[in-house]
Order: sequence, then C-alpha cells, then structure tokens
Amino acid sequence: MIVAKRKPLGEIADMIAPYKKITVIGCRSCVAICLAGGEKEVKMLVSALKVKNKKEGRKQQFEALVVERQCEKEWIQEVEDKILDSDLVLSMACSLGAQTIGDNYPHKLAFPALNTGIFGVPEEQGVWSEKCVGCGNCIIHTTGGICPIARCAKSMLNGPCGGSSDGHCEVNLEIDCAWYAIHERLKLQNRLELIEQVSAPKDWSTSHSGGRRTYVREDAKLTQHQKKGKGAVR
Amino acid sequence: MKGQIQVIGCKSCTEIPQLIDMNKLIEKASTMDLVVSTVLVGAVCDSKSIKQVVQEAKEREVDRVVVLACPKKVVNPALLAAFKKAKVNEFLVEYVNIRDEVVLPHMDDPPRAQAKAETMMVAALQKVMGLKPLETLKEQMRTRNVVVLGGGASGRKAAETAAKTGAHTIIIEKGTKSFKAPGVLMQNSVLLKSKGYGGNFVLTIRAGEKVEELQCAAIVVATGGGWTRLNGPLAKACKSALPLYELDEQIRAGKKMEGPIVIVDSPDPAGKSMQVRDYAWDESLELAIELKRRSTDSDITIVFQEMRAFGLSELRYKEAAELGVRFIRYDATGIPKIDPKEPNVVSVKDLAQGETIRLRFGTLAFASIPANDDNEGIADTLRIPMSPDGGIRHGSIQRGPVSTPRPGIFICGSALFPKTKDIAEEEGMVAGELAGEFASKGIIEYGGSVAEVTQEKCSACLTCIRTCPYEAPFIGIANKAEIRTQACQGCGMCVGICPSKAIELRNCTDDIIMQETKTMLRGDF
Repeated sequence: MIVAKRKPLGEIADMIAPYKKITVIGCRSCVAICLAGGEKEVKMLVSALKVKNKKEGRKQQFEALVVERQCEKEWIQEVEDKILDSDLVLSMACSLGAQTIGDNYPHKLAFPALNTGIFGVPEEQGVWSEKCVGCGNCIIHTTGGICPIARCAKSMLNGPCGGSSDGHCEVNLEIDCAWYAIHERLKLQNRLELIEQVSAPKDWSTSHSGGRRTYVREDAKLTQHQKKGKGAVR
Repeated sequence: MKGQIQVIGCKSCTEIPQLIDMNKLIEKASTMDLVVSTVLVGAVCDSKSIKQVVQEAKEREVDRVVVLACPKKVVNPALLAAFKKAKVNEFLVEYVNIRDEVVLPHMDDPPRAQAKAETMMVAALQKVMGLKPLETLKEQMRTRNVVVLGGGASGRKAAETAAKTGAHTIIIEKGTKSFKAPGVLMQNSVLLKSKGYGGNFVLTIRAGEKVEELQCAAIVVATGGGWTRLNGPLAKACKSALPLYELDEQIRAGKKMEGPIVIVDSPDPAGKSMQVRDYAWDESLELAIELKRRSTDSDITIVFQEMRAFGLSELRYKEAAELGVRFIRYDATGIPKIDPKEPNVVSVKDLAQGETIRLRFGTLAFASIPANDDNEGIADTLRIPMSPDGGIRHGSIQRGPVSTPRPGIFICGSALFPKTKDIAEEEGMVAGELAGEFASKGIIEYGGSVAEVTQEKCSACLTCIRTCPYEAPFIGIANKAEIRTQACQGCGMCVGICPSKAIELRNCTDDIIMQETKTMLRGDF
C-alpha cells in the first residue's frame, strides 16, 4: 500500500495560515490503513489545529470529512459542495488524492497535510517498510522474491557490493543487505546457482526517469457511446 | 423511555460525610430535571439499602439511576441484579466515583470537593439520559470442565473444591510428580495457547510429546511455586537464608531468630531481580519495628538499593530508624557479597560513607524474591494482565481478590504474590469454588457495553485485530471487521485505535464523553 506520514503540525499551520474556511479531507484507503489520514487522524488534526489557533488567537473555520478513495474523482464529487464552499482543501490523503482534487477543481487550492512516502508493507502494527519502487519491470522471480531495486541502497542488480557485512548494509547498520537476504533465500530454495548469473543492465525506460508514466488498457476503456450513456466524464 | 431518574447517595465510606455534605448533594439532585427519586443510604452495598432503593425505584417508576458511591467495580453486583429484577436496565445505571475522584484527591479542601462532587453528579445526570438500554445475550457452555494450571498446594485445593461443586477438573502440572487428585491429572504438561472466552475456552496443551486441545468452562491459575526459590549468589553462599515472609512467619510463631538479623533487598543484587516489591519494603519495616519493640537490643540491618516506602509507610521508615534499625544503602558499584569462606558475613559498600562494611549475621533474609518465571508466559497466553511486581493481577481486593479481569479465569496462591502454604491453600479453595460455580451456571451471559463496528466505515485494515488482547475482532464474510461479542470485554482499545473510527463502544461513545467533559470543564472547582 501507499504509506504516508503527517507533516508536523507547525508546518501545516503555517501552510494554511492565510485561509479562513478550510475543509480537511481524509481517505479511507491506504492512508487510513497506515494510520496517517483516516477519519481518526482527520479529527485529531482538526482538534490540534483548533487548539493551536485558540492558543495563538487565530480564527479559522474547519470542516472534517473522509472519502472512500480520494484518488478517484467519483468519490470526490460526493463532497463537491464542501470543496467549492471552502477557501482551501487540506488533503489528508496521499499526494494522489490532493492532486485529484486539484485537477478536478483547478481554481480551488488543495494542500497536502501528509508526506507521501513509500510502497510499504506493514511488518508489525506501526512499522512499514519499503519493498517496491514501481520500476515497471519486475525481476523478483530471479532474486528469490526480494527486490534489489527497492531494498538495496544502490539498487544493484549484481550484488552484494563490498559494503555488505554480517547481513547489514554499509549505508546504515539497521538496514538489512538485500543481496545477503537474496543469497539466503536462494539457498533455502535450492536455487543458489541464480546468484552467479550476471544480469545485464536493466531496461529503465519503464521507470520514472522517462517522465510521467501513464498506463493504458485499451480493452478496458469505454467507447464514446458508453461514455455518453454514463455521463461519467466531466 | 420516559427518563425518570433516581439518584442514590452512599454514606458508607466514612470519609464522605466528613468531607462533603451528602445531604446537600442529594437535595441538589432532587431539584434537577427528570429526577423523580432521591435516596441517601448508609451503604449501597448493603442488602437492606438495596431493598430500600429498589422499592423506591419501583414506586416512582424509575428507569435510570445515578449512584454516588465508590468505584463501580466495588459496588456490589447485587445492586445491579436487584435493579434488573425491578425491570431497570442494568446499563442505565451510572456510577459517580465519589471516593476515588473526590474524597481521596481533595481531602484537604472540602468546598472544592463539594463543588466537584456536584459537577460530577450533573455530568452523570446528563450522561445517563444519553445512555441506551442494552441487552445481554446467552450462550450455552459446551462443557463443565475446570482446568487448574499447576498442581501445587493451591492448585490441588482448587481442584478439590471445584470438584465438589460438580465440575470436572483437570490439573495441568508441569512436573512429573504423581498425587491424588479429583478428575484428571495431566503430568508433564504445559499450556501452549488459549482461545475463546469465559465459559467456552479452548486450550492447547502439550502433554509429554502430544499436543491436544482441551475445552473448558473456567480456568484456575495456580502456578507460582517459583516464588519460594531463592536464586542468586547470596542465597547460594548462605544456605540458611530465608525469604522475608518465612522469617515473618517464624517470628510470629515465637521462634527466636539468631541475631544479628540482616535483611537484603535481593538474593541477586547484581541481577535482573533488582526490582523490589513495594509490599516487601512495608513488610521489612514492620518486621524490624516489631523485633525492636520485642527486644531493644536486637541487632537489625536493612541493606537496600532503593527504599520504596511510599506514603504513610515513610513514617514507618522513620520509626524504624529512630528505634535503631540500621539502614545501609548501596549501588551498583558496591553490591552486597558473601565470601563462601565466611558464610556468615556479608560485605557491602555503604553509599553514604563510601566504605565497605562487613556485617556478621546470624539470620539472613531477602525482602525481594524473584517471581515465578512462568507467570509472564501464562498471563500472555491467557491474556490477563500482570501486576508490576511480577505476579498476575487480581480484581478488586474487596470483591474479587482471586478473580482476574477476564470472566472465568481465577487465580490463587503464589501466582499472585509470595505467601505461606496455608494461605495459598485457602485461596485455592476460594478460587476452585468460584471456578466450579462459574462452570455450573452452564450459560454465558454476554453483550452489554461491548464494541460494535459500523461496517460502511471499516477499511479492513486489521488494526483492531492486531490490537485486541482478547481476540474479539475478526474479518467477517463481508470482508469487514466484526466483533465476537462473547469475547469482547468492553475495554475500548480497538475503539481508540481504529483509524477509520468505525468502532464504537456501546454507551461510551465520543458524544457521551465529550458532553461529560464539557460539563466537567464548566464546573467551578
């Protein structure tokens, strides 16, 4: 899932300081699950901002809302009147949510209350670790199911590097060496010969470096006729 | 629901009338909206008073009640039972904890106490109108088994008394010793896992090499023989060393202890068992004072790292010092040691003087004894809380000294804290009887103030499932969280942590709490 973290209260307060009527919108998907922007966090942020305002003698009006998935315009449309009625939308979704509001209501301001971080896996309650960076060309079937692009600090394809010691990475001893983990996993799977195979340079054209990527499924797209019938596109 | 409230004031705790005017409080209550009946009784936990208030409630057609007394858990469940009989929903009875929240913290300020009590009463009157009548449901128990964990003194007694109530008892004993016991004795067995709830537990037991599942209605935790083991270099060097309670027992039995007497806080001063239980200090001081009173020339030294004599016990510390009890404080740089060549001398670096002192002793006792190592694992498996001193936490000392917060799990003997065999046996008898009685009900009553999921809001994030200590939440057919009501103890942990605010505790909603808070904040105290 997408894992995000709330910005510090002071930063949010500074960001929204010039605006009077603020709608805070959370999201029930990834950011709710990673405890960053669900209904509880929305209400807590609003309470914290109210307390701060009272302490500092500032007057602002807040509305707290949550939508199912902020990255989809149909869900945002459900709270359209609130968005239009406010000076500023403070999005407690990932950046996708904030941008969806911005793209759909370009004359309105949608500010981010969260820092969107990683594609992460909950290791335990409250701990998420990055395991994918969305490079667009998955190779984990050759690396024991462990992604070296995301989990190795150098994204090495033929590892480990010389900085690996006792299973740890030289960048930070708290990080496990991805290639050590790959070696152990391949050994367990009786596929250790794979580690000796040299991987050629990866095709990075599928990665982010080529600018914004768009994924299209021609077969899933609606025809003009269907679109007209649904009236789904604004 | 009409909203006819009865306000009950309790004079029982003697501090209350001295500090606050209950008559005035009750008078004020009678002027409040919707209050149709006010009663001031001697003790709300007394059967006569209960009769009186319920009679009055019936006459005035009361449907909601506010009780101004001591903590909810201490007030006799008989009161609730009586209201239930009088057709007042037990979940519409609201308690104001006058003793803990007014009397104890404001003993020195009567006007403030009175104002606070009044505000709390007003908040409770508002709250009780916001409560909904809740229902309880019933489930059949599948067995009448009572499992006793531990076949020591208290465990055996527990099994005996439980068997007398008609329950089928199973003793799970870690060791291999054989003894006569009613029902089944499983030797060489350990508890691995527990599932379910009071009345219908499923335990996973490893018996020898086999792992089997065992259904039971109630559990008695009677582990804890480990308390009497004295581990550590000091205890090893001095074979005749005693735990404090044994010394206490021997002195009270009239045995003359050979002086000088040295009490050290731990048999392993450098080890993990450093944490000295508070009661052990109280007991050490009491014992030292007692000995000094009996004979002023008795020579007593208490060697400690940290004296935890809090509150009024500090006076005892002072008294003991005045009577001539010697106190020697040490720290990690000079822990007490016994040289095996000189088994009756303990040497310790006195922190005050910075010099090592050699203390010759006739009797050596230890204030702190390491807790049974099994306790933590068992508490974890059964999901019952531990006390800070390494024992398992029991319920209210007045109403449930051998109960745990989980219905159907009882506890006795040294699993609570170190004690003598006869006391452990007595506790075993009580715990066994309660467990037997619990199992013989045959029916589990559940529900009431439990957690409830609004499925439309649930993100199925699993947070509640990871958080709940009782395994009450689960993901249902709709791929949303649901609560296994029988297992829910109404603790509210899932409610607090749910990121989507999809879970609410019945009759303890945000609105109710906010209203209460607002009223309390408006209060002039």
